Amino acid sequence: MSEKKFLKNESVIPFIEGLAGGRKVLVPVCEGDAVIYRPYRKDCRLELTRMPTISPKDATFPRTETLMTFKQAPVAKTEGDGEGDSDAQPKLELTETLPEEKVVVFGSRPCGARGKSIFTRVYETEDVKDPYFIGRRDNTLFVSIACAAPETTCFCTSVGGGPADTTGSDVILIPVDGGYVAEAVTEHGAELLQSDLLTSGADKAGEAEAVIQKSMELLGDADDFSIAREKLIELFDNDEFWFDMSAKCISCGTCTYLCPTCYCFNITDETAGKSGKRIRTWDTCMSNMFTMEASGHNPRTSKANRLKNRVGHKFSYYPSLHDKVIACCGCGRCIKSCPAAVDIREIVKSAQEYEDVNE
Amino acid sequence: MTGLEELKTKILGALPELDVVIGWEQGYDALNATPLFIRKPEDVERLIIGPLCAHNLATYLPGLKDKKVGIVVKGCDSRAVIELLQEKLINKDNITIFGLKCDGVVNLNKIRKKIGDLGQIRKVVFDSGIITITAGETDHQLKFSEVRMDKCDTCKYPNALLFDHFIGTPDDRQNGIEPEHISDAEFEKMSLEDRFAFWKQEMSRCVRCYACRNACPMCVCRDHCVAVTRDPHWISQENDTADNWMFQMIHVMHLTGRCVECGECERACPMDIPLMLLRRQMNKGVRDVFEYEAGIDPQGKPPLLTFKVEEDNIPEREW
Amino acid sequence: MPVYDGKELRIIGFLCNWCSYAGADTAGVGRFQQPTDLRIIKVPCSGRIDPLFILKAFQGGADGVLVSGCHPRDCHYAEGNYYARRRLELLKRFLPVTGIDPDRFEYTWVSASEAPRWQHVVQTFTDRIHKLGPSPLLAAPLTDAEMAKLQSQVEAGSGCGCHK
Repeated sequence: MSEKKFLKNESVIPFIEGLAGGRKVLVPVCEGDAVIYRPYRKDCRLELTRMPTISPKDATFPRTETLMTFKQAPVAKTEGDGEGDSDAQPKLELTETLPEEKVVVFGSRPCGARGKSIFTRVYETEDVKDPYFIGRRDNTLFVSIACAAPETTCFCTSVGGGPADTTGSDVILIPVDGGYVAEAVTEHGAELLQSDLLTSGADKAGEAEAVIQKSMELLGDADDFSIAREKLIELFDNDEFWFDMSAKCISCGTCTYLCPTCYCFNITDETAGKSGKRIRTWDTCMSNMFTMEASGHNPRTSKANRLKNRVGHKFSYYPSLHDKVIACCGCGRCIKSCPAAVDIREIVKSAQEYEDVNE
Repeated sequence: MTGLEELKTKILGALPELDVVIGWEQGYDALNATPLFIRKPEDVERLIIGPLCAHNLATYLPGLKDKKVGIVVKGCDSRAVIELLQEKLINKDNITIFGLKCDGVVNLNKIRKKIGDLGQIRKVVFDSGIITITAGETDHQLKFSEVRMDKCDTCKYPNALLFDHFIGTPDDRQNGIEPEHISDAEFEKMSLEDRFAFWKQEMSRCVRCYACRNACPMCVCRDHCVAVTRDPHWISQENDTADNWMFQMIHVMHLTGRCVECGECERACPMDIPLMLLRRQMNKGVRDVFEYEAGIDPQGKPPLLTFKVEEDNIPEREW
Repeated sequence: MPVYDGKELRIIGFLCNWCSYAGADTAGVGRFQQPTDLRIIKVPCSGRIDPLFILKAFQGGADGVLVSGCHPRDCHYAEGNYYARRRLELLKRFLPVTGIDPDRFEYTWVSASEAPRWQHVVQTFTDRIHKLGPSPLLAAPLTDAEMAKLQSQVEAGSGCGCHK
């Protein structure tokens, strides 16, 4: 870790405005009762104390990513028939649209920033490199605010994170009396902190330490989800278990769309007239359409199948494939924002504690 | 809502004949309830009723069509059951209704606006119109009437309208009810241009998670919603303002004359989009033109499923 | 020949096959002069028209939408237009809630023989849409002025009142 600096509360807005030089700055703002990331505007309703309703995933893995645009080139008229050559294929003009915008996200939580680091292993492997995700990730910096008051839905420490976890962040800010203790995590982060607005924060190191300590206490003992890997596989064909677990689920996509680590997508061509674009959009395994096959067959017709996939993927299939890394950052958004308060922690625990009465 | 012990006894009595009874239990903290599916007698112990029980459980009924289901309903929830029966989407023979009298349910967003973050709720006590919430180390006392759902401010139907078992004594409360929600009157003062801009801003944050649709008891198409079909291609997969707007229009239009104003869409929306404003305004049109309210009479007919040769309130076309 | 030379707007017409489409045809055959802004989509019956067709047209940027069917009591399918009338009336009352001027939408009844009436309907509606000008677009980003106004409404506690 680099040296500790101090950002006064009064300097937060000027600091954010300073970041804007050459970069788009996304900040959490309050709209209605929701806290969402929006490009910084003067006088926006900045909200830095509540955990944002939606994760900052959108910055690196947008809700809608245009992969390319296309349009049908005008067919050259040949002499004679005036209708063009009817045998010729229409010519398409394709334009690749790689993300180039420089972005900084200010005010993410450590869990939210960590989310993308978890699913990077899918978008950047030796064989497969996704230029859209990688482009955005490399162009986006995260200034995260450590968690001083974790919520009853938080469980980051049970899935490998923590209230001041630095994975995926470039700068970490720890809230203390009157401002934030700032530490650079990456070189880019250190550049962001080269600002006259920051003073030395060495004398506040102890206070920052105490904030995190208190946060850890509030989080309580971490749960051990390691045996879920095998248990969820064992329960794969136990329809009754999943029927019970999913009874109150209404099969909407709130959990997956607010999640920092859900990375599934859909690709569609959206055309209007003779032009259009190929877009990649968030998809959700809670939807019937997620597994709909071209033949009309659907292997996951019930919400029990779908919920099993969401829980199984995060706590079993993904860790089995990726060095035991649980595909969950413990932010609790899926619990807090679920219209039926489905609690993924309870499902995993139920699976771990499940004993077959028939055996 | 009173009479928990009476309700438990009645459910225990009916349970042998039923596959499941749907009620509520305590959720992940003291300020959250969650639906409870009672299958075994010991599950009944977890049952709660009260101001936290906001979920309209009628949403689950069409999905349990072939089962014998018991359901606990508030006044507004019972209207959804009636509407489903009217449209023959559920079969009354398979349903046992435990009706409550309701004194209103909480709106967590309103509480959050009063006391700030709801992350560390330790204890919640309701006592004669006052709700005391312990958040972190601090106690907050709030007037229940200031933090209940909008729909409760204007509720004319606190008692379940249709039931097999009624718990407690029906409330004949008709006073203290606002005739119209305040936001409607304020909204109506806005110019067309302002409204258009307002909805553009609201719709721009919709993530199309379809929580509003799936929480809605009247959205019975479920997996076959026109919003997700590619053919016909009503809306694009693109998550932009225009497509989000179109989706919300689909929802409103498909609820015309059917919406019972239970408010589940708005409660479910993680982005806090004022969806009920759209629905209340549409229902106002339905009342003005057809003098009809959805979900009151099991024998009634939704106004768009019928007609009159001479309409009472539709003027002749001028040209 | 277009009446509004050089600045045509986009008006979508949903016409039933049996009365209004035939009426429009009669008007054409009879060489009744009409503005050319209207793009007609033929449907079997006004009862086929989902109010969402109209909203979809507005979403796509239509400046006006006109629906026309058989007169009540004259529906080719006996009752299609009665159902249509109920739906369309509610839509017309709902449009201002979305901020779309209800004058941008009209429904009317024109029979197969009413060529002069069709001419009158098209002329009147097109005139009205031209007076209103192009439709506001959902796809256009909010202007700074609009954003500032929305924000001031939130802060003043006015506006929709839902977010106080």
